[in-house]
Amino acid sequence: MTEPLNDDELMALLGEAVAEADAVSDRRRTAARAAFTWRSVDAELAELLHDSALDAGAAVRSGAGGGGEPRTLSFGHSGLTLEVEVDGETLLGQVIGTGSAASAPQAASVLLERPEADAVSAEADAAGFFRLERVRPGTVRFVVEQGGWSLTTPWVTL
Amino acid sequence: MDRFLPLVDAIIRGHRLSEADGDDVSQTVWLRLVEHLGDLREPAALPGWIRTTTRNECLRLLSARGRVRPVDPQDATGLDAVVDDVAGTDLLAAESRQLLREALASLPEARRALLLLLLADPPVGYEEISRRLGIPIGSIGPTRARALEQLRRTPALRRLAEVIS
Repeated sequence: MTEPLNDDELMALLGEAVAEADAVSDRRRTAARAAFTWRSVDAELAELLHDSALDAGAAVRSGAGGGGEPRTLSFGHSGLTLEVEVDGETLLGQVIGTGSAASAPQAASVLLERPEADAVSAEADAAGFFRLERVRPGTVRFVVEQGGWSLTTPWVTL
Repeated sequence: MDRFLPLVDAIIRGHRLSEADGDDVSQTVWLRLVEHLGDLREPAALPGWIRTTTRNECLRLLSARGRVRPVDPQDATGLDAVVDDVAGTDLLAAESRQLLREALASLPEARRALLLLLLADPPVGYEEISRRLGIPIGSIGPTRARALEQLRRTPALRRLAEVIS
């Protein structure tokens, strides 16, 4: 059991707590408020199936190797799977239809959305592959459409 | 939401991300919160959710940037070991400060206003405090003592006592 704090000690801790709140940058405050404009009640999100950055041992590899390996992410939602590989500013991806989306005659289209910038789009080829260049770090999500099926991923930080 | 911005900030700081990466993690956390608002029916679950999400996003980005310190490959505890290594104590301190802000926010307006003026940086003199709050100088000290006593009885500070013991 620790000693209870006296008034001056408590005031000192309160001072730190209040200073921390004052230190939040306007930039982050504004971005946080703007996040609420992205609320979409009906959208069902894809599940993040895999992120190489979360692998046990990823820290070991990257710590030793300087982060040389591309990061891979995969998402899935009712009939569609999206796999992406981020290597520097190049993003390679593949849309894989399972079930009836697999037999959709149209190629998949992919949108890379950012909260504070216009979305970038790409068309996948017949095998579902697509490529995006000059992909800057930041918060993004993907919206994939194919033959009436669509998939929206959760937001991730690249 | 504004209440938890400093907590997210503090956790990010504890992971020593760059300013730009920190901005991105912060933004991702809030966007993910917006996605999950429907699932989070219990307000009490919010701080835990924010803490876990922020920490995970920091670790993912550190890993993606190749900036996590090497850990013993034989010790297969993975990310949890990194958390404790990088930000365990920082996280505890960040949570304590969050609880202090919660406690302060739950005080009656007049008492909170007095404490905030007494904590102001640069300091505000007693005469100025007396003028702004319309209370005699002589009652500032006793009011401060009563406010702190009330603060100690808030649920947030009771939890803080559990956290640090």
